[in-house]
Amino acid sequence: MATSTYLSNPVVTINAVDMTDQCTSAVFTRMIESLESTAFGQTNRSYVGGLENSTLTVTMYNSFAASETYATLKTLVGTQVTVKVKPTSAATSATNPESTLTGAYLESLPIVNGQLGALDTIDISFTGGAYSVAIA
Amino acid sequence: MAYTIASPRLGTVGDVYEPADGVNVEALIEGGFIKSTIKSTKSDKPSKDTNEEN
Repeated sequence: MATSTYLSNPVVTINAVDMTDQCTSAVFTRMIESLESTAFGQTNRSYVGGLENSTLTVTMYNSFAASETYATLKTLVGTQVTVKVKPTSAATSATNPESTLTGAYLESLPIVNGQLGALDTIDISFTGGAYSVAIA
Repeated sequence: MAYTIASPRLGTVGDVYEPADGVNVEALIEGGFIKSTIKSTKSDKPSKDTNEEN
């Protein structure tokens, strides 16, 4: 049973720019690569933690207007950038923690994703970087 | 280098902006989010190399 309910309204910051009002989806996944450590004599596979490789994937409306999506992202492709997400727009706290990837890599940027009768939206992923979380 | 905020996506327009560690300042300038408060002057132009051999 769900223990808390809130309207999904995460705050998304890319390179210090608040892009919340252009986002329709934000998935922040913390991932630590698994390294197999199974040895002879074991009857099950076992793993240990390797390098961290967390990701933030966001879906955004595409816009070429000033200070919008394209202006924010166009020079970030192929670079490391700091991205932040927190569950709601309320103050950062233990119940509204702000997760950060410092030095996350933006590998690709769709320029146009046009479809008849639909708004142009793009999916972008920031990968890697150092994970941290703020609760105040 | 000093910067001022030029877009409300970054803060209050006109306020001084101090980039945190890890922020790509060039991208913010390129995107029009901040402006440098230092204007270029004539002295910023590269001086002529007077030692050129003819």
